[in-house]
Amino acid sequence: MEAVTQQIPLEHFLALSAILFSLGIYGVLTRRNAVLILMSVELMLNAASINMVAFAAYASPELFTGMIFAIFIITVAAAEVGLALAIILRVYRNRGTANVDEVSDLKW
Amino acid sequence: MGMSDAWLLPLLPAAAFVALTLLGPYLPRRGDWIAVGAIGGVFVLTLLIIADFTDALAVQGEAFAGVANSIQWLEVPGHLELRLGIHVDAVTIVMLAVVSFVGLMVQVYSLGYMKGDSRYGWYYAVISLFIASMLALVLADNFLLLYFAWELVGICSYLLIGHYSHLRSATEAAKKAFITTRLGDVGLLIAIILLWRETGTFNIQEVIAAAEAGQIGTEILTASVVLLLLGAMGKSAQFPFHVWLPDAMEGPTPVSALIHAATMVVAGVYLVTRMLPLIELVAGGPELLLAIGLLTVFLSATMGLVMTDIKRVIAYSTINSLGLMFVALGVGAPAAAMVYLFTHAFFKALLFLGAGSVIHATERQDVSQLGGLWSKMPITGVTFAIGALSMAGLPFLAGFWAKDEILVSLLDNRAAFVLVLVTLPLTAMYMTRVLILTFFGEPRDPESHEHAHEGSPFMTVPLILLAALTLVSGFVVFDQVGKAMGFPGGIGEIIFLERAHSFEFDVAVGIGSTLLVALGIATAWFAWVARPSVPARSLALLRPVHDLWANKYYLDDLYQAVIDRVVLSIARVVAWFDRNAVNDTGVDGPAYATRYAGYLMKFQQTGKLPNYALGMVIGVVTLALVAFSLKA
Repeated sequence: MEAVTQQIPLEHFLALSAILFSLGIYGVLTRRNAVLILMSVELMLNAASINMVAFAAYASPELFTGMIFAIFIITVAAAEVGLALAIILRVYRNRGTANVDEVSDLKW
Repeated sequence: MGMSDAWLLPLLPAAAFVALTLLGPYLPRRGDWIAVGAIGGVFVLTLLIIADFTDALAVQGEAFAGVANSIQWLEVPGHLELRLGIHVDAVTIVMLAVVSFVGLMVQVYSLGYMKGDSRYGWYYAVISLFIASMLALVLADNFLLLYFAWELVGICSYLLIGHYSHLRSATEAAKKAFITTRLGDVGLLIAIILLWRETGTFNIQEVIAAAEAGQIGTEILTASVVLLLLGAMGKSAQFPFHVWLPDAMEGPTPVSALIHAATMVVAGVYLVTRMLPLIELVAGGPELLLAIGLLTVFLSATMGLVMTDIKRVIAYSTINSLGLMFVALGVGAPAAAMVYLFTHAFFKALLFLGAGSVIHATERQDVSQLGGLWSKMPITGVTFAIGALSMAGLPFLAGFWAKDEILVSLLDNRAAFVLVLVTLPLTAMYMTRVLILTFFGEPRDPESHEHAHEGSPFMTVPLILLAALTLVSGFVVFDQVGKAMGFPGGIGEIIFLERAHSFEFDVAVGIGSTLLVALGIATAWFAWVARPSVPARSLALLRPVHDLWANKYYLDDLYQAVIDRVVLSIARVVAWFDRNAVNDTGVDGPAYATRYAGYLMKFQQTGKLPNYALGMVIGVVTLALVAFSLKA
């Protein structure tokens, strides 16, 4: 850990995280398949986790706060994926499609 | 049990009211025994208090100025201290005796009269509260408590007059009584506030002392006395507020007895008696009182002559009596007024309870459907006759002595004296008329006459007791009688020790008034017994006068016209404002605005996930940009 923080500046991690996050947003906004949207959301979550760990490692390495947070995020993400996939599965079974454009009954 | 413990008196019937209201339906006999027990307790305690009063008089003599007992109610330090308490002096004692005895008689009588009524328990609850508030009213040492009790008396009379709530006339009469007296009550409230502003105290004795010391400005004092009188006139049914009282006959008859003899209407007389020192400080105050009284006496005596409803005739005789009390107060003879109040309570309660007996037996109350009841109902007949002749003022009955007191006090005021004398034969005439038409002659409604019978002992015993008191209570004016009962003298000397008024019987006045009364009785006998054709023929001759009297001088119609024209047109404006400004704009407006805003905004809900996602992204980016720009 010592070596990594000395060799690579924090900005690189932040840039990586920003790129991942933007990719995620792009995916959420452009994809129509619900599974792909879900994967893009996971990308955004991971970008946030990277940020957490990076800040923790550079700011206060002795506390591990960010790492613990990252583990929580992974746990929550796993639960969320399980739930979301179940919903998508039900939607697909009901309508024969997982295309979010076609699932638009809840409107005015 | 002394005078300082008199605060217990109103609490007993008030507790009965609470018990009956909460538990009434679950109690045996709907709890009437609680109410009767409470008023019985009040009567016993009153006797003890009178004994204590007698002792105090014996020890202190003329120095006795009353017993006060009060507790602190609430305090705003440095600004205001309100005390709650009682003040017992001779006037209070007289009132307590009247209220507790008549209250007891009426409640016992109601056991028979109200039997089987669908709201029997509620009747007893309210009548207990009525008596409690009247006791609180006469005991109060300060204006606030007095005003509370005053309004409670008003609301109880409203509830009792409207007891037969399925009758439209009863509910109308209840509203009329409440609203008419309310007009005067507003005056009383303003007067209390004015007096408090000037003196900084609600205590009645302190206010009177301050006024006598000249601490109240003339204008304020005049205004508050006039407003005070307004309150008293409303409650005591003086002209022009007298219209509610005959209509109040819609209530159950025992209630009429209570309202007319012991509670409601004498509250005004009591207030004026209490505040007489204040009224006499104002130039023209006593004269105003006298004028109101005379007008009331005269109007009621003529109207009583043509009424055919037995209760209404007695109601007009009550207005007549109240007018006489105001006359006595107006010439500065409070002792005479209190004597009249004291004796009047007994014979007026007797008259009403007797009328109730007749109504109970025949279910008729119009004299044109009655008649010939003397042999069917001897007890009621004899007692009613005693009451009616006492009201007429036949010698040696209670009403004679009391009326004579008032006449003697009027000797210095010729005009008033003559006017009162003129009404004497009228009063005698209509009381005799109602007596004859009810109990003598041929029954005009044979069917109801057939079934008529004397009521249960609950009804006859109070009649007999009240008749006995009507026979003897007038003699309390004599010093010898007072001394025999342990008082220092006759009742006139006990009341208002500072203005001792021993009874003086003016033989000329006595004989004169007796002759006038005899004239009235003879006329009535001549017109309705000896020559039954006379009323019809004189009616043909005097049709306009009869119509004027039978229509109560068209005062009711005048009031109704004022209400229709003035009050209702103001009400229409208010109703228009309420409908358009308050309701349509103020309440419906925001509701419509909310609905329209919702209509406009609902189109944001497209149902398409990417739209929502885009909205979130734009929102977050905007927030981030704002945050950065603020930081920079």
